[in-house]
Amino acid sequence: MALSTRTILTRSGALIAGLALASAAPARGALNNLMFPEQVSSYAKPSDAVMWFVFLVSAVFFVLLMGLMGYFCLKYRRRPGVAQQRSVGHNTPLELAWSGIPLILVGVMFVWGLFVYTDMMVAPGRSEAIAVTARKWSWTWDYDNGGQSLETTKAYKVIAEAPIFAVPVGRPIKLLMHSEDVIHSLYIPVFRKKIDVHPNRYTTYWFQADKPGDYELFCAEYCGDQHSQMMAMVRALPEAEYQEWKAKLLDTSKVPLLELGRKLYITKGCNACHSLDGAPGTGPTWQGIYMHDVATTDGKTLVADDNYLRESILVPGANIVSGYSNQMPVFMGKLTDRELLALITLIKSLSETGQSEVEQILRQDEEERAGLEAASPEQTEK
Amino acid sequence: MTSIPAHEHAGAHGAHGHHDEGSYLSPKKTFMATVMSWVWTIDHKKIGVMYLAATLFAFFLGGVAALVVRAELFEPTVISADGVVTGQLLPNINIIKEGAVVGTITGNNLYNRAFSLHGAIMVFLFIIPAIPAALGNFFLPLMLGAKDVAFPRLNLMSWYIYIIGGLLAVWVLIRGGVETGWTFYTPYSSTTEYGATTAMVMAAFILGFSSIFTGINFVVTVHKLRAPGMGWFDMPLFIWAVYATAIIQVLATPVLGITLALLALERTFHIGIFDPAMGGDPVLFQHFFWFYSHPAVYIMILPGMGIISDVIATHARKPIFGYRFVAFSSLAIAAISFIVWGHHMFTSQGELASVVFSGITFLVAIPTAIKVFAWVATLYKGSIAFTTPMCYALVFLFTFTIGGLTGPPLAVLSADMHLHDTYFVVAHFHYVMMGGTVMALLAGLHHWWPKMFGKMYNENWARFACLLVFIGFNVTFFTQFFLGQHGMPRRYATYVEEFHTLHQISTVGSWILALGLFVHLGVFVASLFGGRKAPDNPWGSLTLEWDTETPPIEHNFHHEPVCEHGPYDYDDVYPPRCKPGEWPMPAPLPPGARAH
Repeated sequence: MALSTRTILTRSGALIAGLALASAAPARGALNNLMFPEQVSSYAKPSDAVMWFVFLVSAVFFVLLMGLMGYFCLKYRRRPGVAQQRSVGHNTPLELAWSGIPLILVGVMFVWGLFVYTDMMVAPGRSEAIAVTARKWSWTWDYDNGGQSLETTKAYKVIAEAPIFAVPVGRPIKLLMHSEDVIHSLYIPVFRKKIDVHPNRYTTYWFQADKPGDYELFCAEYCGDQHSQMMAMVRALPEAEYQEWKAKLLDTSKVPLLELGRKLYITKGCNACHSLDGAPGTGPTWQGIYMHDVATTDGKTLVADDNYLRESILVPGANIVSGYSNQMPVFMGKLTDRELLALITLIKSLSETGQSEVEQILRQDEEERAGLEAASPEQTEK
Repeated sequence: MTSIPAHEHAGAHGAHGHHDEGSYLSPKKTFMATVMSWVWTIDHKKIGVMYLAATLFAFFLGGVAALVVRAELFEPTVISADGVVTGQLLPNINIIKEGAVVGTITGNNLYNRAFSLHGAIMVFLFIIPAIPAALGNFFLPLMLGAKDVAFPRLNLMSWYIYIIGGLLAVWVLIRGGVETGWTFYTPYSSTTEYGATTAMVMAAFILGFSSIFTGINFVVTVHKLRAPGMGWFDMPLFIWAVYATAIIQVLATPVLGITLALLALERTFHIGIFDPAMGGDPVLFQHFFWFYSHPAVYIMILPGMGIISDVIATHARKPIFGYRFVAFSSLAIAAISFIVWGHHMFTSQGELASVVFSGITFLVAIPTAIKVFAWVATLYKGSIAFTTPMCYALVFLFTFTIGGLTGPPLAVLSADMHLHDTYFVVAHFHYVMMGGTVMALLAGLHHWWPKMFGKMYNENWARFACLLVFIGFNVTFFTQFFLGQHGMPRRYATYVEEFHTLHQISTVGSWILALGLFVHLGVFVASLFGGRKAPDNPWGSLTLEWDTETPPIEHNFHHEPVCEHGPYDYDDVYPPRCKPGEWPMPAPLPPGARAH
């Protein structure tokens, strides 16, 4: 015989294995997309590899156990006139085997996972640091040049607008995170990592984005009403574009006042609780609140004038509007005078009483900005 | 085959015997006397039935909350470009005082209350007490051949404490509007206006006392009241499991008390323990919480594992394969359960601690694997009857295996960074808690129902309901593994578009699951009112609880039973002590044939 059974078996086996390998790359990609989101961070791939190993081992055990169970159920189902058969009650080598083999397998899982985990947790020394602040229910990133993002996106339907935070592609970034109130957790699924953000200490989250694109950022530690809307977008940009984006953050003094107010409304997280259109929320709406009477929780009636608004932004707990609870973070020392004015102007613009004043403030602001722009070229030359 | 000594034995005090003692269920002379006989009862069987009623009611409450949660997630709440909100099931509710709107409880807040209610009720009021306190109370003394538990009055007290704690918990949850989740993480829980954390932990603490009393009672009963001839290794595995559970209850529950004391100290004397504003550490609360709540996970699952051992052995008519390995694996799980709590904090604690806890966590896989292998091996060469309890035992093997195998991805440090606090975790613990404990409870309930109430139920309808539950459960929760792997965080009132389809499938599954459970309710009610009288030993089981009448007499046994064989000696004791052909019994052998 020219071809023995064994040869046929080996050859067809090799053929199948070859085909499997050839189709493996795209098929693996498709399979990975079925199981996980895109792999964007530098450690996403090794992390997925460990999970695949665990899943495949689990699948083998599951099929083995369920196969045996199904087979026994079929073969040894109760039939008239057939009793159970005597069999050994226990078998020490078998029992040691099914204790020992899983032990070895989980040992491999543990060690492999530990190695990937080490890569995930230890930031390379050359990382660029960004300070992250979490609060109910928004994120702020302070870049190393002192700037904060003012860019927003309307891509998520669950929240009207969410801030965009740019990061460079191909370079490690280290987020130094802390919370102003409760525990939050910064989670970017395509990076395969989340780290809790605590009120009493810093935690770090390092990553390196390997692909440009827009990626979802979620809060993963339950933090109350708007937990599911505490979203942001991470925008990975090529180095040059990133530098340009970051440079633009520096100066808010040139942004028209009302526009600045609208942006701060999103980026400072006011939008999580206060609506602009009278819709109910966790905090009072801003529509028509200016110069309106407010009843406070301790029984006073105040007029929501400029000073009341200022106080309520900087030290929200001073006078709480009756029916609401004190959930708002303190903004004392976190806004420049112009930023505070921008927010108050936005609130004023939402009520009829404030209209004429707003026009005046905006005119003034325009003149000041014109003055600044005229002055700045000279300054840079000096 | 009619001249079987065992058969005569069963008949001797079976259907046609005259008794000086009535069934524990038989009513007293007047209605009031009957009611009082339940209110002041120290009969472990009545207390078991009262526990069963209370825990099943809690299951119903928690289940309704779960359906609300799933219904809200059928559509995401979205805001259109011009500010119109759609897809919100739970509405924003305006707080109106003297005709003016003074505030709002948002739909999100109501959603948060719903899932907190679901979690807290299911954990503290249903799943922790359900099996040990209801079925355990009823059957532990019967299976040991005892007249009652060691401390019958303590037993009654534990039920009343459970009811007081339960009422307080439900009142706090609904009236106080607790929206912290069942985990009450500080500082969220200590700063939120709605969450009456201290009151809620107090309720959990009171419920804990009920657990401790039951636990002490069971430990002593197992040690002291076994029937003559019953050694430790002649005990049914359900007893072993309940025994291991009782030890955890007695040792772990006090930690909950310490946590409460610290919370109270912080609130009243402003000693900074958990609150960062006073120099405390919020993660410390998580350590305390999981130091109790992780062992509590095994309080929930171990008794279920015990039921499965007994059900499989009985309905496959085989001794449990590797009885001692299975018995000791219960104790091993109980021991390891105390040192793995840190795996709930991989994303919040120090790296070294995470590594240690990850390593230890993997060890739990071994005793668990031993049990599953042993159950499957028990089926080998058996005589498997597909009765409702057996169907549920097989469903348990399927779903619990998935639940067990999805544990390692969460124990792997790198993978947990991705999966922690996502729907993967939600799916995993529902596969263990519902796919494990609840399926086991349903198996046990159908297995012991005839003994408890003296009535058979409609087997076909029960099996149909079992099928619905199986399908509904898997549709609901298997989809959630994919949600989690794609990054859907848990405790979200709304979600981004990409998760829409999977959430809808999951919600439809929850309806099928609910339908199945309602069919079960119907089957049980029909059985109570119109069921056929149950024989003393419908499954031909060899454990002692089937050795008495159905339903059992008030003092359990006419004579102190003597243990003459092991609980699962089906290979040696054949045919069993009951009338052949009465119910899905092993069919009679042809004349002249031998059993083995």
